[in-house]
Amino acid sequence: MNLATQREEDLFVAAQQLTDPAARRAFLDRNCAGDPVLRAKIDGLLAAAADADTFFTESASALSFPVESIPSPRIAPASVDAIPANLSIEEPIGTRIGRYKLLERIGEGGCGVVYMAEQEEPVRRRVALKIIKLGMETKSVIARFEAERQALALMDHPNIARVFDAGATERGSPYFVMELVRGVRITEYCDQNRLNIRQRLDLFVQICHAIQHAHQKGVIHRDIKPSNIMIALQDGLPVPKVIDFGIAKATEARLADRPLLTADAQLIGTPAYMSPEQAEMSGLDIDTRSDIYSLGVLIYELLTGKTPFDAKELLKSGLDEMRRTLREREPPRPSVRLSALQRPDLAKTAESRQVEPARLMSLLHGDLDWIVMKTLEKDRTRRYETANGLALDIQRYLSNEPIMARPPSRLYRLGKLVRRNRVVFAAAGAVAIALVAGMGTSTWLFLKERDARHRAVAAEQQESRLRHEAEVRERITQAALLVSQERYDSADNLLRNTSLTQQTVEGAAVFRSVGEWHALHDRWQQAADRFGQLLHVNQLDGVDVSTLDYLRCGPALVEVGDTNGYERFRQEAIARFIVAPSPFADRIAKISLLLPGDRRLIESLGPVAEATAKSLAEADANGDGFTAAWRSVSLALWEFRRGNYPKAKEWCQRCLAYPEYNAPRTATARVILAMSCQQLGQADQARTELAAGREPIESRFKGRMDSGTPVQGFWFDWAFARILLREATTLIEVSARPK
Amino acid sequence: MSEITQILQAVGRGDRRASEELLPLVYDELRRHAAARMAREAAGQTLQPTALVHEAWMRLVGEGDRTWQNRAHFFGAAAEAMRRILIENARRKSRLKHGGDQVRLDLDQLELAATTPDEKILLIDEALERLRTQDPEKAQVVVLKFFGGYTNQEVAANLGVTERTIERHWAYAKTWLFQSIRDQK
Repeated sequence: MNLATQREEDLFVAAQQLTDPAARRAFLDRNCAGDPVLRAKIDGLLAAAADADTFFTESASALSFPVESIPSPRIAPASVDAIPANLSIEEPIGTRIGRYKLLERIGEGGCGVVYMAEQEEPVRRRVALKIIKLGMETKSVIARFEAERQALALMDHPNIARVFDAGATERGSPYFVMELVRGVRITEYCDQNRLNIRQRLDLFVQICHAIQHAHQKGVIHRDIKPSNIMIALQDGLPVPKVIDFGIAKATEARLADRPLLTADAQLIGTPAYMSPEQAEMSGLDIDTRSDIYSLGVLIYELLTGKTPFDAKELLKSGLDEMRRTLREREPPRPSVRLSALQRPDLAKTAESRQVEPARLMSLLHGDLDWIVMKTLEKDRTRRYETANGLALDIQRYLSNEPIMARPPSRLYRLGKLVRRNRVVFAAAGAVAIALVAGMGTSTWLFLKERDARHRAVAAEQQESRLRHEAEVRERITQAALLVSQERYDSADNLLRNTSLTQQTVEGAAVFRSVGEWHALHDRWQQAADRFGQLLHVNQLDGVDVSTLDYLRCGPALVEVGDTNGYERFRQEAIARFIVAPSPFADRIAKISLLLPGDRRLIESLGPVAEATAKSLAEADANGDGFTAAWRSVSLALWEFRRGNYPKAKEWCQRCLAYPEYNAPRTATARVILAMSCQQLGQADQARTELAAGREPIESRFKGRMDSGTPVQGFWFDWAFARILLREATTLIEVSARPK
Repeated sequence: MSEITQILQAVGRGDRRASEELLPLVYDELRRHAAARMAREAAGQTLQPTALVHEAWMRLVGEGDRTWQNRAHFFGAAAEAMRRILIENARRKSRLKHGGDQVRLDLDQLELAATTPDEKILLIDEALERLRTQDPEKAQVVVLKFFGGYTNQEVAANLGVTERTIERHWAYAKTWLFQSIRDQK
């Protein structure tokens, strides 16, 4: 590269952008100071630029071959291969189309070519002119565009490129005239300029506002994708411009009627960006939420560099498979998508976002994952209602406020609170933390007491107790903060020897989170310790305890082999819940029967079993299969422990008959069924059921565990199933072996 | 494997001799193909270079060989070949205009304001050679865009730079070339 000419080019281009003559002069004065030769050169270039354009435009007609003028050799037509039919002859430069004169070809897409053109009247300006070549019925395309023209004319937004006009060329192709946007497509711009996540989100929010504006005017874009979002530079700042509004609807054709690919393997339409309902084309009205889905794909790509589904993969499999994928397959969350990339790919992606790969994944994990996945919901009623809603959630994320997309947990909100007020928390110390987090009256008392220090010994004693509590609570808060940052091991260190004398919800949440973290990594002793602390905290003020916490603790104790601990645990649980029946009493039955027990214990669960059976009948009557299925598996286990094997078998089969799917529950039912069959001497069936139950449990534990969802199955349900599986294996395979 | 694919791959490996072979091969193909198309089209139509290049590309290179490197080399050579064909064409037409038996067209005699499009591209072609000695990269942009008829997108992909860079080079080169032409008078 020649440095001198490059410098000239840089100055020339920059000066040209300054339309104000004074600004231009000043710019050149600054940059050509001391170099009059350079200055003269640039001035000369600037003066000649317009004439140069004209000169080149006028020469354009010599750049094509009018038929009859190419010299020899002539070849007989028969010896030449046929040209694929859908390659079309293009418009020569300099042609006039309507009141527009084509100046230059500037781009090409799957369905047409874009030219820069000059409009002469009523106003002289440069525009973009897009000629659609899809072999479509031109009249209907124009007609459809006309239908929207009114609405398009009403749109007036700085981030939307106007569509001015439409018509037909002499050859019969439809064309559209649009505001000329000089810029690059958004994905390119972001990567080239290495915008970080925050900057990308800022641009995205502007785009959401533009889409919102259009939706409010009744215009749906229908074809949102990176090539339709340009970034232009205005005063040095990047400005997004959404282009091609109204064109997708006008040129819409049934995908099945036309080929997906041109002869040169260019894609028509972008399946990766199509919403499930668009791919279906089932006659369902496409509404604004379809645009929101496409926005979801866009933000996905801006964050991870990839689309949720790979475009090539989608096309490769054919139309029906593509529809099915878009309709049914869950795409990976953005952070998960990143983690599956090859190292160089990941490094490149992180680099263009100015961040370390590990940091990028942790940035996306959590809130951003949630926001993106909500936007990509298959069921459009579950997406954001409006583009503004999406923008607002992103803005909340950027200000460290709780987002809408995520079901709020106390700990989550606490974490946000801390991050928002980082300065306050850091500076003011333990007391401030306690006050802000609403820890309760004791801390306030502590403060008061501190002022009355010179009181009697009794006061002094109380003071030291309170101080101790405050210290403990400070540790809890610290641990809460660490948990919210997912620094579980540091949190665990703080919690290790902490015992609370006062109940706090935050304390419970912290013990629960850290306990789960241990359990997910199979560190059962530590999990048992934390859950024990959790239950202790829960009991302090007679607060209504979550039966789920019992479900967490039970497996931990069994896994760690603490049979005495488990025995005490279940006695306690039963004692507590027999007295005050709760709607989830059956969970207590379940958790108390993980291991076989003595007759008395099992019979003491009689009332619980009765209540469960009643609840099951109710659920059946209400058509609540989910609840009914869970109840039946609890009853199955109870009957099995009682030795009532035929009844146990019956309950298992009933559980399996419900269509509402839950993998660990089904596996558990099969395992109990296997054991029941074995006890009834039905060895073959026992082995079959055991195999059927074992497979999902083992594959679940092979992969990495996460906390789970109600549908996939919570981890403790799986842990539960695994414990029973072990028992069943011993019973059916080990004990039954011939000696 | 087709002959041209072998050559393209050799070019990709940096084989200097293969580069020299590529251009004549592509040139031949384009001329032949253009002529064949001419023979089939109705009079009054015009053929665009970019369409011819695309068609030639698909005819010459098989399904599996359409790698981006092969494509880049091919399209680069095709643009250069197209340039030659167009210039030949323009020369011929000008000669006809100025009297068929003139062996060499004297560009210096031309009045800039009165030049025909054909004469214009001859002047541009000459100036382009001057630009090439100063800044081969910008000259290449002109060859690809102006004679090859490729879009900014395609040129950017071919040269491995951004579209914006192409726009800038093009804006500058046009003006530079025009000034150079004007200054020769």
